[in-house]
Amino acid sequence: MVLTLHGITKFYGRIQALDNVSFSVPSGSVFGILGPNGSGKTTMLGIVMDILKPTSGTFDFFGKPATSTQRKDIGTLLETPNFYHYLSGERNLAIAAEIKGKGREDIHTVLEKVNLSERRTSKFSTYSLGMKQRLAIASALLGNPGILIFDEPTNGLDPVGIAEIRELIKRLASEGKTIIMASHLLDEVEKVCTHVAILKRGKLLTSGPVDEILVNEDIVELSAGNLLLLEQVISTLPGYTALRKYNNCLHVLYPPGTADLPAINQHCFNNGVALSHLLLKKKSLEAKFFELTNN
Amino acid sequence: MLQLLKVEWMKVKHYRTFWVLSILYLISVFGVNYISYLFWDARPKNNDMSKAIIGTPFNFPDIWHVVSYTSSFLMFMLGLLIIISFTNEYSYKTHRQNIIDGWSRKEFILVKIALTVVVALVATLAVFITALLFGLYENGSSFTFEKIEFIGYFFIQAVSYCSAALLFSLLFKRSGITIGVYFLYTLILENMLAGFLNRYADNIGRYLPLESTDNLIRVPVFKVIINQLTASYNTTTLLIMSVIYLALYYFISFRKFQTDDL
Repeated sequence: MVLTLHGITKFYGRIQALDNVSFSVPSGSVFGILGPNGSGKTTMLGIVMDILKPTSGTFDFFGKPATSTQRKDIGTLLETPNFYHYLSGERNLAIAAEIKGKGREDIHTVLEKVNLSERRTSKFSTYSLGMKQRLAIASALLGNPGILIFDEPTNGLDPVGIAEIRELIKRLASEGKTIIMASHLLDEVEKVCTHVAILKRGKLLTSGPVDEILVNEDIVELSAGNLLLLEQVISTLPGYTALRKYNNCLHVLYPPGTADLPAINQHCFNNGVALSHLLLKKKSLEAKFFELTNN
Repeated sequence: MLQLLKVEWMKVKHYRTFWVLSILYLISVFGVNYISYLFWDARPKNNDMSKAIIGTPFNFPDIWHVVSYTSSFLMFMLGLLIIISFTNEYSYKTHRQNIIDGWSRKEFILVKIALTVVVALVATLAVFITALLFGLYENGSSFTFEKIEFIGYFFIQAVSYCSAALLFSLLFKRSGITIGVYFLYTLILENMLAGFLNRYADNIGRYLPLESTDNLIRVPVFKVIINQLTASYNTTTLLIMSVIYLALYYFISFRKFQTDDL
């Protein structure tokens, strides 16, 4: 395990931001922390980075209590890019590299990686939001750390930038790095993460491998004059995972991409049921997310 | 420590506000002493009365005292340098980033304390050179290290003002309010309180935090008259108080930065 949280609780005055959160991040995983705005994602990462103090609970890296030296080998982008406005991108990275105890030869490479080389000598204050975000990602990559922590990494980026950062994260993951990523964007988590923890109002709802938690499925909605007969006929169909009654319809659930509507129609017709309604619904992750985060 | 200071240097090196204020400060140290020199030079000469009261402030060894005293009116400028360097970190949230990048909280506050000492040292050096120049320029003045202790007192005073500025920055975080409170406290509020306590509480006002260091360097002229008007000062006690306050500033700053949410 790279990172383990043991019962982290955090109060801001009387507001409780985290409620007894415990989970572990396995080595080599891309670990998504998912939750709506204000669910405590940034607070949690802030505690792990020692810029916030937990009210109670502990955490450790590689089974040892965290130290500042360990942080030197973790690349982190937390909430907003924090840089000296009057310094150029390059000089800001030089400060970060010096603190991390890494050589400056990396600066050029990481700026290349986030496409910021051309503007490296411009002052940070002249950067656009997307460029600031890129610089923060570049800073996290300094010294080629084995663990990366990204809090909303695609914030402020345009669609091309978002795609680039996703590619970058996938590439980093394929190099065997452990990536912890907080996001409120579900498809982002789904597209790049192997594991996920879902937070709501400071409570951990669930955590584990993505394909177990964010199961995506095809839903075929159908209806006929005689629902009972329809149900009998459908139950003889192969390949579905679940069958549910839903108002005046039946919902037949299939693993993603396997529902074959013409075959279903044919099957019903052959068995003497004429369908009055047949529709394929892709269950959106959003729906899944609402399902998980609604009481 | 050198590595920490190197990072601090990288932060400050290209920070124009810091350098503009620093250079103007250095010019002003010379300027404020030049103003007092012009005043003194305009005195009625060959007048025994004025000689007896004022003495020869621009000759060695009194020059060490006079320049230290006059320059101490610019103390708040040193505090301002510390305040902008610290509150900048808060407004850019770079104090967080420094910790995230791998400094411990202790290292962060340690380097800021080192900065207060460096700023105080540079200011003291400027005062030393200014005193030297005026002393050597003045006719009938022969160089001596007698009364050089005033340069040392200036250093203690400068460290105190810088460290108080550090503490104020930590407490208020935003530059506007920190600067406002710091200026009003150092220029007016503490003096007001000191005056009140001196009058009604057996002169204990002189042991207030910045007042104790102010009183290390007392008015260099009109000594005969002033000594009759005010209670006597014990330099050793003032020095001890200054050190206690310094320790307190550092202790509170450390504690606060170690335990706060940043």
